[in-house]
Amino acid sequence: MLHYTRGDFLATFALALESKMRILLVEDDPMIGDAIQRALSDASYAADWVKNGLTGLAALDTHPYDLVLLDLGLPGKDGLDVLDCIRARNNLVPLLIITARDNLDDRLRGLDGGADDYLLKPFDIAELLARIRAVLRRKGGAAQSVLGNGVVTLDLLSKHASTDEQREVALSSREFALLQALLIRPGAILSRSELEDRLYGWGNEVESNAIEFLIHALRRKLGTHVIKNVRGMGWMVSKSV
Amino acid sequence: MDGFKKRLSESVQLRLSVTLCLAILLVALAASVFAFVSAFEETHEQQDATLRQVAMLFDRQHMTLQYPQGPALAGDDEETRVIIQRLSDSPHATGTTDEALPLPFPAGLADGLSTVEVAGEAFRVLVHTTAGGEHIAVAQESDARDKDAREAAWRSLLPFLILFPVLLLVVGDLVRKLFRPIGVLAAEIDQRAEQELHPIEEQHLPTEVRPFVVAINRLLARVAQSMDSQRRFVADAAHELRSPMTALALQADRLAATEMSPMSRERFVPLSRGIARGRQLIDQLLSLAAAQSTSERVHTRLSVHAVYRQVLEDLLPLAERKQLDIGVDGAQDVHVTFNAMDLLTLVKNLVDNAIRYTPEGGRIDLSVTQIPGAVLLHIKDSGPGIATEEQARVFDPFYRSLGTDEAGSGLGLSIVKAIAERSGARVQLSFSDTLAQRGLCVTVWLQALKAPAPNKDNHHLF
Repeated sequence: MLHYTRGDFLATFALALESKMRILLVEDDPMIGDAIQRALSDASYAADWVKNGLTGLAALDTHPYDLVLLDLGLPGKDGLDVLDCIRARNNLVPLLIITARDNLDDRLRGLDGGADDYLLKPFDIAELLARIRAVLRRKGGAAQSVLGNGVVTLDLLSKHASTDEQREVALSSREFALLQALLIRPGAILSRSELEDRLYGWGNEVESNAIEFLIHALRRKLGTHVIKNVRGMGWMVSKSV
Repeated sequence: MDGFKKRLSESVQLRLSVTLCLAILLVALAASVFAFVSAFEETHEQQDATLRQVAMLFDRQHMTLQYPQGPALAGDDEETRVIIQRLSDSPHATGTTDEALPLPFPAGLADGLSTVEVAGEAFRVLVHTTAGGEHIAVAQESDARDKDAREAAWRSLLPFLILFPVLLLVVGDLVRKLFRPIGVLAAEIDQRAEQELHPIEEQHLPTEVRPFVVAINRLLARVAQSMDSQRRFVADAAHELRSPMTALALQADRLAATEMSPMSRERFVPLSRGIARGRQLIDQLLSLAAAQSTSERVHTRLSVHAVYRQVLEDLLPLAERKQLDIGVDGAQDVHVTFNAMDLLTLVKNLVDNAIRYTPEGGRIDLSVTQIPGAVLLHIKDSGPGIATEEQARVFDPFYRSLGTDEAGSGLGLSIVKAIAERSGARVQLSFSDTLAQRGLCVTVWLQALKAPAPNKDNHHLF
């Protein structure tokens, strides 16, 4: 166990004062590490970068982190072993694996070992930031009050939808339920029967064109581009940009 | 003739058959000549013995000799009959023919057998001196004797005439049967897919062939090893490329976020496009290496529509960028037993291809049908299609059709081919619009118990 010094204490205190989220990046590749660290800073995260697993574990012992980005192919101690060590110490810090290993075994071992997500290299900064936000949101436990995909946002409390052109459009409860079903996973296609099940409960008798009617109504209120039809498959809202 | 000689020098089976047949033919020929000659002579000897017996009979029973008068008795054949006459009667011969007795034998004939020409015909004559001191001649026409002897000789050949073809058939069949394991083996090896490099079964092979098979097995093992290491190299290389490519992509992302002059921004676009292409190529290389790997796959029951949906979810943004009308035809879903990752990769590559090569505003249709013994996936587009003569080549890695400016990796169809070959699926290319020869229609046969016969015109199968 490392000793807490006065300096450490102050640093932690200072961190607590800052509203910035603090992220530990464990990555041995200098170019990738540098790029991620700078990108995180640009996105207003405080990022500490260490280049091997042992230093990473030591850093976790000394500082509270809001999130860990962990590479798997690390020198000395493999990323999966680092993950085991972290979880063995009952440290439940949100953890996202970033790796070039794409085989199923590693992925399963990572997720079973307590990683919150698994991001395969190469990735975009936007993708990384989105995953970080998602993990923090899930771990934060705070109920999300707004769903959105960049085209349309849905306020779950007021049940109002907004687009760039239309602000605060009031929706009927069925319209709201349908849009919510689609916005839970933007980019996912939902078939008619899946939408019917979500809206009316499983096995209920539904009028044959009920879904089309609701979608027509939503498009009239929010614009036709909001909900997309995939011929023969169902409907979707575009994936978050 | 030259062709036959060439085949003879090349084919052990043919040489063996021909040599054995020739040997049988020669032996049979020699045996028949011997049998013919000995049967011929045997008959003559018997006939001579008959003449002697007649002479002895005449002598022993003191028969008196009386020449026949008037018409011949019924059943008495002039050609084959045995005649007896006193040699001393010869000068009293009445005619010049052999019709009536006595015949004009030469008076000076000595005791014993001889062949004499009488009245234009050859006779076999036995001169015998009886106990009474009388010279008698017992004779028979040579023609009839020879005819009988020849008949007997030919009959002695009969067994050979029957045995010879039977023997040829038996030898031919035997040789063919002995060589059959080699033929079966060749067919088995011939039917193997590219990845099937397991050793050849050598248990039931003749010992003469076994060393050869053992050598081939050793070669197969070496080839498998080298192919494996090559595949691993490709996979490892692509894998190693991931890190620098990630770094490059991340740096480019950061650069894009900074303030740039319009000119820099303009020049930045092809750079980031190039990086995206590099990333895609690495992904496709890894995908190909995975598709070619020989590791066992877990097969599960999959809904084809669920696979279509996942592929569409992934690729819809690409299709939307080109304003393509992409969708699924038919409401009837079909289930197949396949490796989930493989089927997803296969369909995704085909749909990705369709999106790439279909011009803006085009249409892509996915559908699935079930026929007895097979499930057929169709991916149809309204693009230019693939010319018939090109259809076989588009599955080669990095092959790119002429006149396409599409920045594909050139690996999509190779990945499809690798998955299909390993899992027994078949991929068939044809035109969506057969009359206009436009639009690519890819049909994937899954779980095909019986594959369709390759059709030379307009279809390519592997």
